[in-house]
Amino acid sequence: MRRSSSRSVREFAGFALPGLFLYGLLVLVPIGWTVVLGFTDRNRFAAATHWVGFDQFQRLFADDQFWLVLKNTFVVTAIVVVVPNALGLAIALLLNSNTLLYRLLRSVFFTPVILSGIVVSVIWQSMLRPGGVLDQVGWLSDPSIALYSISGIICWQMLGFCVVVYLAGLNGVPRELYEAAIVDGAGWWRRFGSITWPMIASAVTINTVMLLISGFKVYEHILVLTNGGPGRNTTASIAFDVIEKGVRGDRIGFAAAEATVMLAIIVALSGVVLRVLRRREVHL
Amino acid sequence: MKALRPIGAVALAALFFFPVYVVVTGMLKPVKDIQSSPLGLPMPPTTANLGAVLGREDGLYWSALLNSVQITVLSVVALTLLSAMLAHYLVRSTARWTRPALLMLLSGLMIPPAVILQPITQVLGAVGLMNSVVGVVCANVAYYLPFGVFVFAGFIGGVPVEMEEAASIDGASRFRLFWQVVFPTLRPAAASVMIFLGVWVWNDFLTPLIVLGPESGTTVTVGVYRSVGEYSTNFGTLYAFSFLASLPVLLFFVALQKQFVAGLTAGAVK
Repeated sequence: MRRSSSRSVREFAGFALPGLFLYGLLVLVPIGWTVVLGFTDRNRFAAATHWVGFDQFQRLFADDQFWLVLKNTFVVTAIVVVVPNALGLAIALLLNSNTLLYRLLRSVFFTPVILSGIVVSVIWQSMLRPGGVLDQVGWLSDPSIALYSISGIICWQMLGFCVVVYLAGLNGVPRELYEAAIVDGAGWWRRFGSITWPMIASAVTINTVMLLISGFKVYEHILVLTNGGPGRNTTASIAFDVIEKGVRGDRIGFAAAEATVMLAIIVALSGVVLRVLRRREVHL
Repeated sequence: MKALRPIGAVALAALFFFPVYVVVTGMLKPVKDIQSSPLGLPMPPTTANLGAVLGREDGLYWSALLNSVQITVLSVVALTLLSAMLAHYLVRSTARWTRPALLMLLSGLMIPPAVILQPITQVLGAVGLMNSVVGVVCANVAYYLPFGVFVFAGFIGGVPVEMEEAASIDGASRFRLFWQVVFPTLRPAAASVMIFLGVWVWNDFLTPLIVLGPESGTTVTVGVYRSVGEYSTNFGTLYAFSFLASLPVLLFFVALQKQFVAGLTAGAVK
């Protein structure tokens, strides 16, 4: 008895502990710390930190700028969830053939996925800036356009990921289903709606959740392309604001409250989305 | 009508690829040609821009490359081993707490780095790992562990447990069992974990920017950002830096492309 329990302790220490320890120390503890800091007036330049209850949250919710960056984040996230998903499926249907040409074109669409957000932003910035090769309107300098330009650039980068996931999903649909449907006289749209769409439900889930998470945490594209501007916070996201205030700036307590709200939103949002999409998968 | 499909597909792909064309041709042109004929082919091509980045007096590209390689290799190797062991322990253990622990880990997939970055710098500072490559590696391992566990746990769940039981009856310890019997069967999962994480860690910006800090140099991704201000309008050099920063990860990906698609397919079909 004693021997087996010492053995299970050894196994826990050998297999589970190293990973769990690092995850606890550098993810769970920081989450808890952020939540706690949100209830303090911690400032990089202040000697003392005080417990201030919900003051930071009150200040946050009374701040127009917070609602602006939150709105910006939702605009980017909505565009990034919808556009690459829809276009990705269309292009996957177009490229769903195992010939050399189509395999090559897949790599073309996938290339931006492997590039960093910084490099992608540098490339587009050079083309959209005044005097750049695509400089028709104020892509990045007009406050009513800039946020959509940034969203479009992220869509360009994420599109290939969706294409490849949808191609994998399409690959898993049994061919006999289509043959049977054709025999029954079903047209293209009917076959898509009754066979393809339900059969690729798990690919839709993967893409939607992936896009939701990456859209919501958008940071580096904004940093390079507009630095939050033009003007004040017209393109800043909530992640951008948290970093500017808490990591590069001095308002650690305020930024921690903002980060706590950000965390609550993404947890709730992905929970709901995952539940809705999973239900669709189960009901097949 | 049939001929329209390949023509349409090629046209669409060409339009999509336009920015890459601008970068690759731009870095082979003298700066004045980038302004005057941004769309033209580089005739004759020049390697001056590439040379300017590679031969910088401060050696920024090379020192950044060394940092990127160290951080990526150490992070990916540690992540592959630790997440495979942890996933195996959690999936195979009969203890009650392992199921909630697995769910808690998986919910870590959605945490935005911005939420935890400030406390991470405090923790790393407290243990003396700020401004170091090891500090970045530790932060990476913790942050990406849920992804590794997610992939391995899904894979291990599909491997029959009988094989492991047979080996354990022979008296093999759980460690030997894992490394000699289980781990080799996880190779496809390990391949996709390594490819995804290799690309992500290489392209990471925020963690190396803040944790490595200006004192300890940069990674190539952070280097591109730093050189944006420095080169300002010299797009030839900026393109060359972007290209050289992306080249290693592009080659890495091309070399492992087959495993990547296989791994993605396994995940998406399941």
